[in-house]
Amino acid sequence: MERSQIVTMVSRKLVPFILLFGLYLISYGHLSPGGGFQGGVVLASGILLLFLSHGFTLVQRSFPERHLNLTELVMVLLFLLLGLAGLLLGKSFLSNILLLGEAGEIPSAGFILLLNMIIGLKVGAGITLICFYLFRS
Amino acid sequence: MLEIILLIILVLAILSLQFKDLLSAIISLAAFSFMLSLLFYYLHAPDVAIAEAAVGAGVTTILFVLVISRTKRRER
Repeated sequence: MERSQIVTMVSRKLVPFILLFGLYLISYGHLSPGGGFQGGVVLASGILLLFLSHGFTLVQRSFPERHLNLTELVMVLLFLLLGLAGLLLGKSFLSNILLLGEAGEIPSAGFILLLNMIIGLKVGAGITLICFYLFRS
Repeated sequence: MLEIILLIILVLAILSLQFKDLLSAIISLAAFSFMLSLLFYYLHAPDVAIAEAAVGAGVTTILFVLVISRTKRRER
């Protein structure tokens, strides 16, 4: 199929806002609906929209496969390390080790915000990688 | 309100099965997913609604469009 000018232009203007909305969902996940998984999927769909409208090589240049792979693996490691940090301090796995803060502000709810960011980056990189592996010819 | 959304969902599901043009089927599947997420929001589950809208209307649609750009558009 040939690509139309409209699709290219609209997606070029739309992708930054989709990525921003994904970051918003991740960073407000503990206060409002949203969270790590949803935000990560929105991030991945933004990158995939760029893939659909601009072709594989351009997306490969801004989001190299190696970096996505590294992000996904490092995030798993960070999640495990954060979980084990509670274990080291004599509490249970994944128990909170940070200050709780004022309810309703962004840096509240202990390290749920950190875990949301980790999960969001991991899900975004993972879903993007799945589609890259499927469609690189 | 609930009945209207459910009826639209049913119509869109049947349409997406009946279309011979696969791009139309994908678009009606995306609309189906969007209406489903509206239904979830109406039933007071905004978290599930966001997940459904992101996965169903976002990633799956783009994935299917990429697939038919590599294969044929018409169903035989």
